Amino acid sequence: MADMNAVHDAHDEHPTTTIREYLIIGLVLSVITAVELVMSLYEDELGVVLIPGLLIFSAIKFVIVVAMFMHLKFDSIRFTQIFAFGFVLATCLLIAVVVLFAYDATDAIGGGFIGDPIEHH
Amino acid sequence: MSAATHETEHHTSLGVDNRKLLMWIFLASECLFFGSLLSTYLIFKGESLSGPGTDIFAFEITSISTFVLLMSSLSMVLAVYGAQHGQLGLMKLMLLCTILLGLVFLGFQVYEFKTFASEGLTLSTNQFGASFYILTGFHGCHVGVGVLYLSSLLISSVRRNGIGKETPLYIDIGGLYWHFVDIVWIVLFTVVYLIPAY
Repeated sequence: MADMNAVHDAHDEHPTTTIREYLIIGLVLSVITAVELVMSLYEDELGVVLIPGLLIFSAIKFVIVVAMFMHLKFDSIRFTQIFAFGFVLATCLLIAVVVLFAYDATDAIGGGFIGDPIEHH
Repeated sequence: MSAATHETEHHTSLGVDNRKLLMWIFLASECLFFGSLLSTYLIFKGESLSGPGTDIFAFEITSISTFVLLMSSLSMVLAVYGAQHGQLGLMKLMLLCTILLGLVFLGFQVYEFKTFASEGLTLSTNQFGASFYILTGFHGCHVGVGVLYLSSLLISSVRRNGIGKETPLYIDIGGLYWHFVDIVWIVLFTVVYLIPAY
């Protein structure tokens, strides 16, 4: 009886999503992936739209999986806060490191590229 | 709510189960892990002076493996659904499907690595190769750990032959790990394979 109660309690946590809805979500994810693939094949035609478009589709898939499959939409807000903290921190780290290496400030003041021999005076 | 159910609850200051909280904290830390690896890869992408670059990628193979991993996420969420609704057969079947799809994904990755190595891109060819293999290899390791994790859940459910008090929670936590592996690949597939190098 305790087992059944535990099962029903867990059931009550996510009352809205059915198997049919999960299958539809899976289909949507597959379609988005197919669209991404087609976009990458038309790299020259899409031009500057390509990268933002791919990133937006990737973000949509990310949010769908996190919200619906990982149940963050229905679960405690604490889990969302913890995961968002880690994700935002990781994104900031990624941007900071990439920008640091892409725009080397020593170029602007005549210091040369990273790896160039250092001149001793 | 019955007295029996009260016995199984964990009263915490945050009002959430500590085991599930621990998994979310772990996944948040994993974001930083993969963020570091991905930033390293982006620095070296398209910067190699020797050896093959991103032109070596085969979109067809990777697209299929991406689809396989997405479907494994679908089967995993159905396993969680089965556990939470007391459908033991559905839970076992979907866990088995998830494990098999995870193994198929790993098979694709091994095939891809072998193909790239035969075409001259190895871990020591250039910095692009090193960062690519480390990034995707660590993701593959996570998939491997996930396969072992889910296998242990499946074996324990077969031995028990029933939905226990803690079964929905254990399957749910296992599912969180597996879905995380999937969302990491969603990002990697786009950034590593689809976005061209400039």
